[in-house]
Amino acid sequence: MGDRRITDHPILDFDEGEVIHFTFDGKPMEGREGDTIASALHANGVKVLGYHFKTKRPRGFYCAIGNCSACLMIVNGKSNVRTCTAPLLPGMVVETQSDRGVPDDV
Amino acid sequence: MLINTGVPTREQIELRLPSPERRARGPYAMVECFQEIPCNPCSTSCPFDAILPMGDINEIPAIDLDRCTGCGICAGVCPGLAIFIIDESKGDGTASVTIPYEFRPLPEKGEMVRAVNREGDVIGDAVVTRVLLSKKTKTPLVTVRVADEHVHEVRFFNLIDNKTVCDKTSSKIEEEPKTDDTACATDDDEIILCRCEGITLRTIRDLIREGYTTVDEIKRISRAGMGPCQARTCGPLIASEIARMTGQPVAEIQPSAHRAPVKPMPIEFFLGGDSE
Amino acid sequence: MMYKIDLVVIGGGPAGLMAANTAAEAGAEVLLLERDGHLGGQLVKQTHKFFGSEKQHASVRGIDISTMLGDRLDSFGDRATVWKNATAIGFYEDGVITVDHDGVYKKVKPKRVVVATGASEKFLSFPNNDLPGIYGAGAVQTMMNVYGIRPGHRVLMIGAGNIGLIVSYQLMQAGVSVAAIVEGLPKIGGYAVHAGKVRRAGVPILTSHTILRADGQESVERATIARIDRTWNAIPETERTIECDVICISVGLTPLAELLWQAGCEMRYIPALGGSVPLRNDCLETTVKGVYVAGDVTGIEEASAAMVEGHLAGLEAAASLGFKSDSYDAERKDCMEQLTALRSGPTAEKIRTGLACTACL
Repeated sequence: MGDRRITDHPILDFDEGEVIHFTFDGKPMEGREGDTIASALHANGVKVLGYHFKTKRPRGFYCAIGNCSACLMIVNGKSNVRTCTAPLLPGMVVETQSDRGVPDDV
Repeated sequence: MLINTGVPTREQIELRLPSPERRARGPYAMVECFQEIPCNPCSTSCPFDAILPMGDINEIPAIDLDRCTGCGICAGVCPGLAIFIIDESKGDGTASVTIPYEFRPLPEKGEMVRAVNREGDVIGDAVVTRVLLSKKTKTPLVTVRVADEHVHEVRFFNLIDNKTVCDKTSSKIEEEPKTDDTACATDDDEIILCRCEGITLRTIRDLIREGYTTVDEIKRISRAGMGPCQARTCGPLIASEIARMTGQPVAEIQPSAHRAPVKPMPIEFFLGGDSE
Repeated sequence: MMYKIDLVVIGGGPAGLMAANTAAEAGAEVLLLERDGHLGGQLVKQTHKFFGSEKQHASVRGIDISTMLGDRLDSFGDRATVWKNATAIGFYEDGVITVDHDGVYKKVKPKRVVVATGASEKFLSFPNNDLPGIYGAGAVQTMMNVYGIRPGHRVLMIGAGNIGLIVSYQLMQAGVSVAAIVEGLPKIGGYAVHAGKVRRAGVPILTSHTILRADGQESVERATIARIDRTWNAIPETERTIECDVICISVGLTPLAELLWQAGCEMRYIPALGGSVPLRNDCLETTVKGVYVAGDVTGIEEASAAMVEGHLAGLEAAASLGFKSDSYDAERKDCMEQLTALRSGPTAEKIRTGLACTACL
């Protein structure tokens, strides 16, 4: 499979940002400073961010810039987080979301 | 045709070739820009005014080959990477082509590479004679020496030893025998128009058949477009499906109403608000 | 509380940054709202050199233009405020704009507004079009060029317009292989020089082809394509399967105009411009007084034109408030000439046709 992170690029320099630890559905994973939640997951080979609440079809992001909302996940217990634009922070607990989402305090 | 294939025709190339005398005299720029597009850095960057000023920036670059020294500045700035420096003056059966090469890894001077033509096919071998880096343009210019007769064909190269940008052989698309065509019956159930609410093309088509022929009606009855993206993704698809099935122009299909907020917000958000 | 200010610019991409810079330069107090955590809009992923002329930074890469425009805005100090992570979520008919700024609800009532919200990527309808691994071309570009992450190993690109061609090239620059570029039309829509770059690197461009379906268990594993006839029907016996783990959709953009609808601007659906666009006068002011527009929200074009439109909209919005510098006439004339030049070639014919329908008095 090889590493998904680009290290040698003809135009861009990608700094090796600080490693950020987080979990995805309980599994420990590593991202980098500067990642969004979705980019860190993608770097770990995770494309399925949830299952549609009605059709149960696997769901991944589409636009990656906050337009399409196909990337909603549960982050630190909060539903409907747009993971394609939300920055990855240390210790985040990221979970696949397969319902419409529930209010925080339920 | 260039516009169908992305590759200029032999005639287009031949019309650009300098006279035999000029070709024998020394390096020159071969500007392979055949389409009127709004772009002029080649002409404004030339230190010798060899690429003539453009009255209109859409003009196709015209070059005065008596002034061109083959310095390569235009090749480094051309946003289309469409300028190559050709040197046929050696007279030893080889000639060189300088290629803007924005890939990694870069070859090294003296390295043997595979010479590739405009269609991406390997047509022979080449030796790298110079690798010129530029901090300013970040477009490396790589000069390769090829057999004389290939100098007007070679426009790219592949590295040997598995370091190839795009191995065309692995890109070969397999022709597959057609499998039995049972798919169509279920296709509409597998096409998702509204990703947020999980609404299929079949559902939308059924509703249009039932007489729901505006985006808003379909939205109210099916929830298509009511999800978190607020119809950004499905809106245009639903409108064009209505147009297709009812025969109306898309322009006449009313889009759904747009109301605030443009993205779903929890109610508590509106109760908050800043009190600066 | 209600924030009051001369001008609000919605969107910090090429058009919005130019509008904010120009208006601040003229002396107006400007608030720029940017949805993302950084300025630049989609410039931040444009690693290729721009076309156009020096005035639109031709031959400079988009990423560097973004930095230049952002730095210029910084130079205006207090006169230009930037709210990042700030989405304008509502635009009401009384001129109030509501904002989600880092999770805080804010209301702004500016004297003038420049809406420069850009566009969103169109989606395409085919079986299993929602499988993970099917991404917008812009999404793939963001993953690679902003976050430094390869979207997959082998990509099938749908659409041979400029974005499809450029993103295919950038995929190869990132070390990802591109199986083919599939285009429904019989000709390549993007610039021939972009097509030339990917062709010589070994990527086939299959015109008059379409994607029939995608397949895979949890994510994309393969696509089926076929040649199509003039009525877009698949020709029997031309089907083929392409192994790929990413399908990239680049079938055009559509203006992101929700706020303009909300504000009550008169809109018109113009296919050549990508969707519904606001009617406007030659100052880029819409039918709602004080509401100006610039960039892709006015119709899909290249970023070079977006920058010039931003300049013009910022100039006019400021001037209408009395901030009219000595160079106003010259700048206005220059913008008009630049736009005419960018739009005068044969590749801009579609844009010219579309724009001819957008004028209001």
